[in-house]
Amino acid sequence: MSMKYDTLSPDLFEPAIVQEDEKEKIAAPHLNAFQDAWIRLRKNKAAVISMVVIAIILLFAIFAPMLSSYNYRATDYNNIYLKPCLEHPFGTDKYGRDLWVRCWMGTRISLLIGVFAAMLDLFIGVTYGAISALVGGKVDSVMQRVIEVLVGVPSLIVIILLMMLMPAGLGTIAVAMAITGWIGMARLVRAEILKLKSSEYVQAAILLGTSQGKIITKHLIPNTVGVIVINTMFTIPSAVFTEAYLSFIGLGLQEPNASLGVLINNGYSVLQSYPHALVFPAVIIVLIMVCFSIFGDGLRDALDPKMRK
Amino acid sequence: MAKYILKRLLYLVITLWVIATLTFFLMKCLPGTPFDAERLALMSASQRAALLAHYGLDKPVWQQYFIYLGSLLRGDFGTSFMYVNQNVAGVVTNRLGPSVLIGAQAVVVGVSIGLALGIVAAWKHNSLIDYLTMFLAVLGVSVPNFVMAALMQYYLGYKFSLLPVAFWTNWKCSVMPTLALALSAIAMVARFMRTEMLEVLEQDYITTARAKGLNNMKVLTRHVIRNSIIPVITVVGPIIVNLLTGSLVVESIFAVPGVGSLFVDSIKANDYPVIMAVTLFYSAFYMIVVIIMDVTYQLVDPRIRLASGSGE
Amino acid sequence: MNMYKKILALVLAVVMAISLCACSAGFTDSKSSAETAAPAASGADNSGAEAPASTTAKTLVAYESAEITTLQQWAVSESQAFDAMNQAFEGLYRNDANNEAQPALATDCQISEDGLTYTFTIRSGAVWSNGTPVTASDFVFSWLKQMSSDATNGYSFIMTDYIVNGAEYNAGECDAADVGVAAPDDSTFVVTLKNPCSYFLRLTTLPMFFPLNQEYVEGLGDQYATSADTMIYCGPYVITNYDAAAGVTFTKNPTYWDAANVAIENAEIKIIKEGATALNAFLAGDLSMVKLDASNVELYKDDPRFTSSANFRTEYLQFNLDDPVMGNVNIRKAVSYSIDVDILANAILKDGSVGAKGMIAAGMYGDGTSTFRELNGEVNYYDADAAKAAWAKGCEELGYTPEKLTLLVRDDSVTASVATFVQDQIYSTLGVECVIDTKTTKERGTLMDENNYQFAITAWGADYDDAMTYLDLYLVAGDTGKSTHYRGNYASEEYNDLINKAKVETDAAVRLDEMLKAEKLLVEQDCVVSGLYHRGAAYLIDDSVNNFVMHPFGVNYEFKYASFN
Repeated sequence: MSMKYDTLSPDLFEPAIVQEDEKEKIAAPHLNAFQDAWIRLRKNKAAVISMVVIAIILLFAIFAPMLSSYNYRATDYNNIYLKPCLEHPFGTDKYGRDLWVRCWMGTRISLLIGVFAAMLDLFIGVTYGAISALVGGKVDSVMQRVIEVLVGVPSLIVIILLMMLMPAGLGTIAVAMAITGWIGMARLVRAEILKLKSSEYVQAAILLGTSQGKIITKHLIPNTVGVIVINTMFTIPSAVFTEAYLSFIGLGLQEPNASLGVLINNGYSVLQSYPHALVFPAVIIVLIMVCFSIFGDGLRDALDPKMRK
Repeated sequence: MAKYILKRLLYLVITLWVIATLTFFLMKCLPGTPFDAERLALMSASQRAALLAHYGLDKPVWQQYFIYLGSLLRGDFGTSFMYVNQNVAGVVTNRLGPSVLIGAQAVVVGVSIGLALGIVAAWKHNSLIDYLTMFLAVLGVSVPNFVMAALMQYYLGYKFSLLPVAFWTNWKCSVMPTLALALSAIAMVARFMRTEMLEVLEQDYITTARAKGLNNMKVLTRHVIRNSIIPVITVVGPIIVNLLTGSLVVESIFAVPGVGSLFVDSIKANDYPVIMAVTLFYSAFYMIVVIIMDVTYQLVDPRIRLASGSGE
Repeated sequence: MNMYKKILALVLAVVMAISLCACSAGFTDSKSSAETAAPAASGADNSGAEAPASTTAKTLVAYESAEITTLQQWAVSESQAFDAMNQAFEGLYRNDANNEAQPALATDCQISEDGLTYTFTIRSGAVWSNGTPVTASDFVFSWLKQMSSDATNGYSFIMTDYIVNGAEYNAGECDAADVGVAAPDDSTFVVTLKNPCSYFLRLTTLPMFFPLNQEYVEGLGDQYATSADTMIYCGPYVITNYDAAAGVTFTKNPTYWDAANVAIENAEIKIIKEGATALNAFLAGDLSMVKLDASNVELYKDDPRFTSSANFRTEYLQFNLDDPVMGNVNIRKAVSYSIDVDILANAILKDGSVGAKGMIAAGMYGDGTSTFRELNGEVNYYDADAAKAAWAKGCEELGYTPEKLTLLVRDDSVTASVATFVQDQIYSTLGVECVIDTKTTKERGTLMDENNYQFAITAWGADYDDAMTYLDLYLVAGDTGKSTHYRGNYASEEYNDLINKAKVETDAAVRLDEMLKAEKLLVEQDCVVSGLYHRGAAYLIDDSVNNFVMHPFGVNYEFKYASFN
């Protein structure tokens, strides 16, 4: 900072040679948005590790039950609540069933439910919220009242009525969750878009005569991705535990099938005596959640053009 | 503003009526009666008839509906079946006390700690504290709160005897339930705040503010927080409603006589007047919070015009 | 900074709101907070392992796992409320530590030669907690109330089955004066029975038979028993606070006739819905007793505070005889033979429950020397080969092999684990898939009521110590010629005859023989039900408490006989 301009003499500089053909040269390879995002994602070590862990969990969920010598429903009343050992890496449960196989079977189902909940959020929730905010006026008002009614009518009553009409199973869980599972997302997206609608750059875009479709796809959607990704992360574990609750009251999976939520619920009841029954399914679900959320963050950063360095 | 709020309140009444009607007819479809089926089978025909007539359950459902609406308009919530002869308004307010206290404390703890963590994490992006916060946030939502509550009860309550294990005898009893509830709120608020703030930090006006020579603190308080808090308010609304309306799990683990277990019990027992009263309370509360949130948006960000969200 | 002022205002408002809540949050004993703080401090000194006994030095604290929703005598049907009532009220007789009925509000009872007239002498000096004497007319009023159509607890049968004109009064076909309960004077209470009943005195210990003061009860109308202030008491304790969700607090009743023998001044029944919470509370010294979950029995079974007891309560499979598949007796037998109830009790439940080899609970009265169960032996048992053979025979008779069976169960965690076990046993023995159909208690009840089930897990707890409490459930009901849908639509003239004969039989040996035969018929031959387990309970009882009496039937426990070291 102490450098003074008068200490620089003109002979320190020489003119640059301008090559006309270099001017238009594109130094970096041509990339579309997806490739660009992929490159940025790859640079994020944490995200890559998370992706690998998710892949491993997925592989275990698919293959571990097939490769084990134990069946998920085979009982052995002489080996109840065995501690983890070589024969049973995760120990056994109340009926002497192998928890290794049951955990991975449960992971399958819980992942399925998680994905379904995320879909609900993305398709119904985001669309509903976006339409409500974009169209505004009377439509918005009516759509918000509908949400209020859906929140207001006790879901347990609806669930018990569902129980009367439908047999237990994954399909019933899906219906039960579809009724209200997406509302949080819809409200969030609506608020976010309302905020964006009044931001300077959107106002500028409108002023410049950009078409509404373009504003939605180029400005509003990319800028809500962050909130959407995070909220999805919160939806998945709550869906997994909603499923466990539904299973308990008879709407979800019934024995001998199990999900991670059900395994955790069962493990919780024997926490003081046989902690292993809780620890393994809980660790799996936390692992899934941590990885998904780091991966989701990475994905958001990668997709966000502003993050480009 | 006053006109806007009045209009929203009018909507509230209409929506409440729709909810009440829907809930009324849905709950009448619930299997069974408010009385135990096995016991009812043991009663003689005359006893059964007398019982149903005493509670007006022998009339057609639509008649029961209008009778209920009528008494509701007079401010009468009726008499509970489950809690024989107890006044429903009394039962519900009794049970609301503990839930509201725990919930309100959890909201304050959850939102303030969540906001603080989120702000620090975003401000010190990619630092140790950022990673720790995010880890806590993930743990906070993926570890179910009943496991957290059970561990707290075992260690804080029994092993170290720091707090009462359970029950509702004095204020200390409310500490563990509050923490158990606040955890997920902390996690959610922290994550949303962090993300929003990171986004705002990238905005041109922040760069402008910095370029103008505003010090870090002023940038943070005047520009960053103010602009990132709006979507967070959207999450805070439902969190408040969830926390204040009681949690079945936390209440039963800590043996707190709250409204969460009342609601579930009343539905399982077909206690119609209690179901209706709690439903109406719950939805009115939710809608009022939504209205407050919408008004708060404007206070925090005057650019959002309330009219745009109100149907004009 | 306008916004920050607003936020500050908001925060202040919230803080004020919370402090307001705290004032109205209804802590159950804000006055004694100093007392409750003390044990917590001493617990910290004790390094936690051994809970301080000082906490329970003053108050005996029991708990229930469900809310005490009402204490109105003619509306109470749940055991948790019976437990509370048993401490604050009393009947003509009260069960002692050996489960024998001993004179309580009655000093003695004269039974007529033919066994039909019971003349009770009401204890002189027995008074209600407001000073009014307890008289024979208090019993007349309360018994008539229980037999009238006002009674909503479904327990009217427990009187109308025995007392002359009870059923007619219940149906509104006769006047109160014609019913076989009378009070010739204040200290004489006369009951006339339809048939001799060997266990009638035992019945009078039940809460349905407690007295009620007509003037007081009718004076309060609908508000009777809605709070501690709207009841008067005649038992060892008076209720000082009643909150359905938090519990009941008691203090010794100074006007109780046997107050000299009530050792503990203060007692409490708390409501704790979560088993793990109760255990933690017990370990921390907040409870005098705790019921152990199956999973914790292993851990504590060598603890000196451990005790286990059997209840007179049987969980069993109820087959629906109207169902096309379960209508076949061999299919029912196949299911029954394929379940090893000993594994269920010893490996899964482990809480002192006993595998049920019949309908009548183990330990129930037989001939005085042997129990009913010992006399009748195993009427349902595990036999894999017989199960397979019966299945094959059943399928042949049906003309097809059922693809799956559907077991209806209610949504509580113990029943869930029993159902899982049954499912596994049927699957591994018979190779048939058994679908578990979990429903809420209400919906399960409705489905059974509508005859819409194949087989279900059902339970029945003895109201009194006699096999008849189980056996008369399967009598033909109404004009259907079958037992109720709940009881599987059983239609057997032979069974009906046996029970009806036993009901009027005066010779105890003949009566017993008829009942033994009836159980064999019901379970072994016709296989209408198949026993799963007789419920047991494992407890830890604080070592400072002596003589905490628990009963296997009727009410669960007595505070009256307990004392502190």
